[in-house]
Amino acid sequence: MTTVTVSGLAKHYGSTTALAAVDLAIGVGVTGLLGPNGAGKSTLLRCLATALAADSGSVRMFGLDPAVPADRTEIRRRIGYLPQNPGLYPNFTAYDLLDYVAVLKEITDTRQRRAEVRRVLAEVELTDRAQTRVRRLSGGMRQRLGLAQALLGDPDLVILDEPTVGLDPEQRMLFRALISRLGEQRTVLLSTHQTEDVGALCERVVVMNGGRVVFEGRPRDLAGVAEGRVWLSAAPPEGSAAYWRNADGLYRTIGDAPAGAEAARPGIEDGYLMLLGRTAVEVAR
Amino acid sequence: MNDWHIDAGLLGEYERGELDPSRAMAVEAHMQACPPCRSSIRVDFTWLTGNWSVVYDHVHAPKAGPGHRLLRRLGLPEHRIRLLTATPALRWSWLAATVTVLGLAVAAAWLLRSGAGGAVLATSFLILAPVLPVVAVSGAYGPPADPMHEITGTTPSAGPALVLWRAISVIGVAMTMAATAGVLLPGPGWFAVAWLLPALLLCTGTLALATALALPVAAATLGGLWLAGVLAASRLVHGEPFLSVVFGPTAQLGYLAAAVAAAAVLILRRRRFDLGASR
Repeated sequence: MTTVTVSGLAKHYGSTTALAAVDLAIGVGVTGLLGPNGAGKSTLLRCLATALAADSGSVRMFGLDPAVPADRTEIRRRIGYLPQNPGLYPNFTAYDLLDYVAVLKEITDTRQRRAEVRRVLAEVELTDRAQTRVRRLSGGMRQRLGLAQALLGDPDLVILDEPTVGLDPEQRMLFRALISRLGEQRTVLLSTHQTEDVGALCERVVVMNGGRVVFEGRPRDLAGVAEGRVWLSAAPPEGSAAYWRNADGLYRTIGDAPAGAEAARPGIEDGYLMLLGRTAVEVAR
Repeated sequence: MNDWHIDAGLLGEYERGELDPSRAMAVEAHMQACPPCRSSIRVDFTWLTGNWSVVYDHVHAPKAGPGHRLLRRLGLPEHRIRLLTATPALRWSWLAATVTVLGLAVAAAWLLRSGAGGAVLATSFLILAPVLPVVAVSGAYGPPADPMHEITGTTPSAGPALVLWRAISVIGVAMTMAATAGVLLPGPGWFAVAWLLPALLLCTGTLALATALALPVAAATLGGLWLAGVLAASRLVHGEPFLSVVFGPTAQLGYLAAAVAAAAVLILRRRRFDLGASR
């Protein structure tokens, strides 16, 4: 079932195009939004989170139009949003902060609100940190608290902007487990720079570049973009821009086969690099 | 570890809550060290979870501060109080700074009241007091005053109602503090109230202008215009008549009319306070 449908969505900041006629359909499960800095990922997420109005195009979320004030309020009742810089009040305790956001989410009954705060604290495994002030939480715990506020009210759509950035491997693993659990019943849309996150978490991946969607499909299909274009060779290739020496001392090249190279199995990162490289060539033409 | 275990009769009395406190404590101490006895007790998980939740909330739920208690006495519902007390410009740092500034102004005016300096300070207060609530409004919502503005702005409570509630709360607090300082100032009694209508105009004007400009820009623009206007008037009209021109009945009527006009603009353009609304 489709939760979000976007068609021809455009957004400009002065003369800079952040989104250029984006078309997209997102359903239940985890969808990853991949792209370099300035690709338009955050702008798209902010439009879907109703934090930003698009210049043109249409968005339908749960069949509602965020451009209509009454629909926008109804959409906000059904979404949870973790921005890239959530700015959680540093002097609030974890419990206090969630209680406050729960009020913003119209959970006005005190007993119900407290039960909801306990529920989300348990969900992100911060039950024993309820009394800790935000400024004293580690980066990972702060991100989990950010996720907890997004989960208040049990939203149908969870929008997460770069939720794993700056996390150590252990915290990232914990976060992945949380997000994958969420995706079992809800629509989760997350942006990331990490192709490993996409491979580990996402059922679908959308690659953006220059404000456009340049790929939409399964992660394995993204890897497939580089099929027959990834090589391993003993000597560094000549004329190829994208290569590096791996742990085995072999040179991994993406693009045309260097002399004496053997074909390698492509990964998501290869497909992603290939895709952006191809797009860059098309733009240059 | 010993081989003694709680017999069924004692366990039954414990479960039914029939033991006196000292015996109940002895049973609990034994159960902590004896897994077989612990596992034999029938636990009412619903009751246990309920109790744990009450204890957890009692320990962790936010405690009502003085402002919270005052608003509760005024009859505001709990959830509304939570929203107002989280307003950035109502934080202690801001309140302490404002109280300090006003306190110093009053203290200086009292110390210098015998000479001309007292009158100058009192006049300065009269001119600066309307700007104080405007500064408060600029910290009521939105970037950069509220680091959580993006989360706040995407909740169902976001929009003009939340902005106006927050603005009213900071205006109320700032005006109360300035009014208290005004009463304490040496000088004619009208000093204490003459700044109120200019302050009302600047606040409504700032909010109306904030539907087109960023809030801090709107606040700085109107606050700056007010100070520049008063400075210009002081150059044109010297001495006591200057205060009559800026704070006299005619001027006050003008401020009131302009405040009503600004309020009308604010109502018409209130949807602009919603992050997701088209510009």
